[in-house]
Amino acid sequence: MKKDDFGSARRMRRRSVTPAILFALAALSLSPRAHAADSTGFDVRRGQMLDVVSRESDPAFFTIAAKLKTGRDVPLALRMLDSMTVDNAMGGMFYAYTLMGTYLHCRSSLPDSLHRKIRQAFKVRTMYRGDTENHFVMYYTGMYLAAQTWPHEEGTQWFNGRSSDENFHDAEQWLRRWAMTTATTGQGEFDSPTYMAVFISPMLVLYEFAADPVMKRRAQMMLDLLFADVAVDHLKGNYCGGHSRDYPEDIINPLGAPMTRVTWLYFGEPSEARWNDARFHPRYRGSWEMVFGALGSYRLPEVIERIALDRQAPYVHLETKRVRNIIRFGDTTNPPVYKYLYMAPGYALGSLQGGILQPIQQHTWDVTFVSERPNNTIFTLHPFSSGRELAMFFPEEIKFLAGEVDRYHKVYTSPEKWNSSSPYEQTFQRKNALIVLYNVDSAAVQGHVDGFFPKTLDERVTDPSGWIACRSGSTYVGFFPAKEYEWIDEEIDWRWRSHELKNGVVVEVGSEAEDGTFSGFRGALGRSIPRFGLSKGKPQIQYTTRRGDRLLFTFDGDRLLNGRKVDVASYGLFRGPFLNSRLRSGIITMTAGGITRVLDFNRLTITERGSDR
Amino acid sequence: MSRYRILITAGVLALLAGIAPAQTETINMSVLNSRRHRIGVTDNPVVGFFTSADQGATWKHHGWKEYIRTFYTETDPDGVIWSACGNGVLRSTDRGATWRVTTGWDVTEVLKVKVNPAHPGEVAASTAYGVIITTDGGERWRTTSTGIKRFFSSDLTWMPGARGGLLAATEDGLYRSLDRGASWKASGLRGRGIRVVLADRRNPKKYWAGTEDDGVYVSTDGGVSWHARSAGLTHRTVYALALDPSDTAIVYAGTFGGGVYKTIDAGVTWRQCMRGLTNPDVHALVVLSSNPSTVFAGTLNGGLFKSTDAGQSWEFNSQEDAQVWGLSVGGTK
Repeated sequence: MKKDDFGSARRMRRRSVTPAILFALAALSLSPRAHAADSTGFDVRRGQMLDVVSRESDPAFFTIAAKLKTGRDVPLALRMLDSMTVDNAMGGMFYAYTLMGTYLHCRSSLPDSLHRKIRQAFKVRTMYRGDTENHFVMYYTGMYLAAQTWPHEEGTQWFNGRSSDENFHDAEQWLRRWAMTTATTGQGEFDSPTYMAVFISPMLVLYEFAADPVMKRRAQMMLDLLFADVAVDHLKGNYCGGHSRDYPEDIINPLGAPMTRVTWLYFGEPSEARWNDARFHPRYRGSWEMVFGALGSYRLPEVIERIALDRQAPYVHLETKRVRNIIRFGDTTNPPVYKYLYMAPGYALGSLQGGILQPIQQHTWDVTFVSERPNNTIFTLHPFSSGRELAMFFPEEIKFLAGEVDRYHKVYTSPEKWNSSSPYEQTFQRKNALIVLYNVDSAAVQGHVDGFFPKTLDERVTDPSGWIACRSGSTYVGFFPAKEYEWIDEEIDWRWRSHELKNGVVVEVGSEAEDGTFSGFRGALGRSIPRFGLSKGKPQIQYTTRRGDRLLFTFDGDRLLNGRKVDVASYGLFRGPFLNSRLRSGIITMTAGGITRVLDFNRLTITERGSDR
Repeated sequence: MSRYRILITAGVLALLAGIAPAQTETINMSVLNSRRHRIGVTDNPVVGFFTSADQGATWKHHGWKEYIRTFYTETDPDGVIWSACGNGVLRSTDRGATWRVTTGWDVTEVLKVKVNPAHPGEVAASTAYGVIITTDGGERWRTTSTGIKRFFSSDLTWMPGARGGLLAATEDGLYRSLDRGASWKASGLRGRGIRVVLADRRNPKKYWAGTEDDGVYVSTDGGVSWHARSAGLTHRTVYALALDPSDTAIVYAGTFGGGVYKTIDAGVTWRQCMRGLTNPDVHALVVLSSNPSTVFAGTLNGGLFKSTDAGQSWEFNSQEDAQVWGLSVGGTK
């Protein structure tokens, strides 16, 4: 973590509890205008979740917490907890916050011996802090609550030799800094269908148990922010658009991602029937992070629920996030990531601007459509891999890293992987139309680009115009490859592959509501043929959308819309009908259903106006 | 006892001290990870910090057993152990029984830590985010990267001839500070990734540098100018360098893909020494002061190897499939 310009610890502590903030906190607690989302549905779902998790048999803190709180298998839960406090092979950031969350939720039902053993765990265990943003959030949440629970103890009583005060102070500073960074310049591990859950879960625990009202407020605001960030990209349980830290199995089956549990609990989507459907069941059966949500008192504000569920009218939503810390081969530690999302009632088309924005697990663009069947997505990528890319983000040796990453992530160097950042891929999106350009170096490890077309599509036809037209229910997807390609028949998909290094595709998405019949959609596509060429040796596509917008995009060049340059740097932290924030302002405005909720991270205040429903 | 007999006895004792291994010479080994490590299981191999006081015959683990990302560990003349870790800079004053993370939330990915031999309270560390330094034994640390263009630093050394002098290896060449890191100036090899830098403490102006792709360089003027010394070094990625304490014309280089190379003429020519070294990716080297024929080589995912014939041949020693990221000699008390 890079140092910043924060002042001394003493000054920071004083600043964080100014009378103005305390007054604001008191004022909010009296405010009648805090609209909670539909609590009945949430209460039913949290009951269902606790019932399911309390029946689990794998020893895990979430299982233990669910058993102890529901009263199911209490002796077994206590034995599990006991074993997890004595097993010296366990430790780390996941352990730190989940142990504290479980302990604080359940401590009134624990015997004295377990109180002692849990305290001892923070003396004898390795609590590795980790090397990613979510790791740090979990570690410092765990340490904050542990130091709060066992205050004024010497460093000899802690695994890291730091006293309770030091650990508390470290955690408070880091959490404060992370919240402010996220609220002003965006997350580094942004919009991850896997890891967003382990940002939300620690904040749920922190909100529940932070004794300091300022930290409690900060946790509440971070929960609001994270949930709103998910909600605006959410469509019937699908976390749509471009992502960081996305696993291949979730990319090709969005409803299988762990975040589905979060959207189900808090937004009520996907439906329960799907929740219980094995095809959609999240793969991390052992990770029930949302147990802390089910046990906790945080309730989703109504405005966020409305953002997540109101899909009556299409909208464009723009975001800025940041690249994870670049430690080598870069002039800027956290360059911006620009996200574009077009959300329609039945589908979403979303993209990142392209390039290396996240190591290993980037998902640059996709169209995701609402479907009763799995694999409800289409996308392309260049399967890039290099030690140099990894060395931008990890401190180990350049020539050693790729093999090492492959040991854990299995597919990093695979030519067939479904997640990848690539310096040879760039995008330009305008509403439901997208241009993707590929300028693959001839020396690149993989000299092809791939596309995922699920076999669950209702139709996939190649028109004489060159457009590949797909239909899934009432959603239509047009895909125009600029160069020659082949189809590879795979188990769940047709893999579109092109070996042309100077390449590009155009994507148009529509629907029955927008375009009438599928044949009508195909006809409209056929009247608009993209023009591919090279400009100074770099791929260029000129295309007029079926709605009449003229797009011109050159790799490494400008994005021109109807002759005018598009400035992606003007996106702001959030810009759209529901969620708005100027970059670096620290003020987030959420608007939906006549309710406006404003988070001011500078003053740590929440204000809300609008009518009760 | 006559004066003559006393002198004889003292002479014999001195001779024995010179021949026999010093009982107190301790090898510090930092094991970052293991190829056998898996996520989500409880039977992973023990990694972290190990010491041997018997020339590698036995090893003792100290401190945290789970994954803590220990890159390099060094012992100061007072026996204080300093470890460069993912969690920050760790210090142990009780031979590794207990540890303190001396750095705060703002320091992570510490790759090397070096104690100033002349002033043990002064400790500098290379991190992925620049150089940090303490002058009070780790109570307070400050970032000291002013003047460095690219912060990533994988190694540094205190400069023996200059009080408070430091030479730092960065991803963009070497940087030199003559004021304990308060300011830095480029010191050559710009544009080259420097992986390791080494001071020849018998020749205070002489330094060695190993690079990512360009072999070995030597400076004989305190780091002002550098000269390639890579003849015969066919593997040019150099992660480790170690001097023979009895003859500083003898230097070992640990390379990626090529195992160990050795020069006996101060880098004029190099010769590969691979016999018995079954893993070619050597990341750490140490030569015993008490017995310079004994050399240890730490490899990436191949464990630790030992040579007792000055690198002519190697035998696997310990840490099967492990990443032996750092080696040093210390523990003189």
